[in-house]
Amino acid sequence: MSGEAKLIIQDLCHHYPDEYTGESVHALEGINLQVYENEFVAIVGPSGCGKTTLLNIVAGLLPYREGRAMVDGNEIHGPGPDRGVVFQEHAILPWRSVARNIGHGLELQRVPKEETRRRVQEYIDLVGLSGFEDRYPHELSGGMKQRVAVARTLCADPVIMLMDEPFAAVDAQTRITLQDELNRIVMATAKTILFITHSVEEAAFLGDRCIVFSRRPGQIKTEIKIDIPREERVWKDMASNPKFTNARDEILRLVRQEVTSDDEH
Amino acid sequence: MTAITEFSIAVQKRVGRQRLLKAFKVLLGSVPFIFLIILWELNTQFVWFDPIEIPPLSDVWGAIFFLQSDCPGFVAAMQQHNDCNLTNNIMSSLGRVILAGVVGIPLGIAFGILAGMNRTISGYLEPVGIFMNSVSGIAWIPLAIVWFGVGWETTLFIMLNTIFWLIFFNTMMGVRAVPKVLVQGVQTLGGSYYDTIKHVYLPGAMPSVITGMRMSLGFGWRALIAAEMIGGDSGLGFMIFVSAVEFKTEEVFLGVILISLIYLISDRYMLVPLEKWTIERWGLVWKPT
Ligand SMILES: Nc1ncnc2c1ncn2[C@@H]1O[C@H](COP(=O)(O)OP(=O)(O)OP(=O)(O)O)[C@@H](O)[C@H]1O
Ligand SMILES: [Mg+2]
Repeated sequence: MSGEAKLIIQDLCHHYPDEYTGESVHALEGINLQVYENEFVAIVGPSGCGKTTLLNIVAGLLPYREGRAMVDGNEIHGPGPDRGVVFQEHAILPWRSVARNIGHGLELQRVPKEETRRRVQEYIDLVGLSGFEDRYPHELSGGMKQRVAVARTLCADPVIMLMDEPFAAVDAQTRITLQDELNRIVMATAKTILFITHSVEEAAFLGDRCIVFSRRPGQIKTEIKIDIPREERVWKDMASNPKFTNARDEILRLVRQEVTSDDEH
Repeated sequence: MTAITEFSIAVQKRVGRQRLLKAFKVLLGSVPFIFLIILWELNTQFVWFDPIEIPPLSDVWGAIFFLQSDCPGFVAAMQQHNDCNLTNNIMSSLGRVILAGVVGIPLGIAFGILAGMNRTISGYLEPVGIFMNSVSGIAWIPLAIVWFGVGWETTLFIMLNTIFWLIFFNTMMGVRAVPKVLVQGVQTLGGSYYDTIKHVYLPGAMPSVITGMRMSLGFGWRALIAAEMIGGDSGLGFMIFVSAVEFKTEEVFLGVILISLIYLISDRYMLVPLEKWTIERWGLVWKPT
């Protein structure tokens, strides 16, 4: 892979302590993963396999004890603006207008007002929310809210962008539009992205590389390269693209194995 | 018929539909008051109750001028001249409400936020909060008189004690209800601990804080009146009490009406605009249409 590794994860394990029973939940086991500059890595896996756990550790929202996790060569300790997160639920602030939500990261980093204004406008245009600058989140549709969330994260200019099933809560039609848009944004901004999803189609459509997780405790089962240039990744052409359909069917087969294999745990 | 419809459309266009609806609401709200006033006037006509029990409206109106009769004028009233009986009592009550609010509300919000965010602090403060809240503001009056004597310290203490715990409790609950993901969002944008308070917990707790303010205004005002009656030497509560002892029922009526009016005005012109400016604009509350 070209470029340097922006995210390095080595032998990462995680156990959640259970306050009530005293037993612990083994969520992640021996994760080794690298994400390179400008790479889009998608993670799929059965529900409850530890995907969100991994993302929260990278985001610095969950402390870890076993293994290592580094971003840009720095060990991860707590959250920071170098790792932007788009959450599954709407995490934009209801008391800030669209523009003030998108510029929030820059405001917190004390970027001068004039530059903030310019960059906010740039990202508002990029996600197609021109004209909605002064609206409040409750006046927006679910899809628009998630666009604001994506723009907010992008505008803070993180080293790596972490996305946890960002389009799971919108309807199928909007999801397709948002996926197309995300592709366009990735081309325009050249970001490094770690993307978590339930949807095999979404992973195959967006990822340069797709990581398939096993059931809990989450381990990396396989990884599949999806060698389709970004410019060709448009939904209306995808159904007839054998590279896409092959990758999708392969990922689907692997995920099915995990879901239907005997209960051995 | 069509003429009426045309007329009404013309009026709507001219005055604006929103304004008309608002005027209609005000009209609806004043119907019960008008009904009461009519009953009151009828009582004056037919003397169902003795004037000493229910004085005529005109006497209540006259009490204003009687109480202010020795007052040298508006400027003197503002300077709390000794002879400006009514305005002095109003200002004395209002002053304590404002002072208690200015001190008690920020203090209650500050502690409420700390307790809502921090399990240890809330562990310390929650039981004592429940304890203090369970004893109504009024129950403290005898003890406060022992501590501070009769006078403004007692009434201020009663007010503060009522306001602080209500605001504290509501703020704490509001902070706890703020979705964790909003805090995490700000943290991952580079926000500090202080930023999460300013940008997330404080605005997120706003619906509860406003509820706390509304409760404070209601309970606090009532507690103040009671405190002034028993342990005060000025204020509307004190005035009512003294007038009742002297059987000046019209002054008692005037005092009660003024108390309600001041409450109504402070709710309409302070809390409601605050609500509109914050939680309604942010879509945090259901907005009646
Ligand atoms: N705070 C917690 N305390 C204890 N156990 C937890 C906690 N959070 C998650 N778990 C457990 O850890 C496992 C992994 O959870 P995680 O949320 O990472 O799964 P996921 O892969 O994101 O699932 P989904 O696809 O449904 O979102 C689950 O079995 C879950 O029950
Ligand atoms: Mg998850």
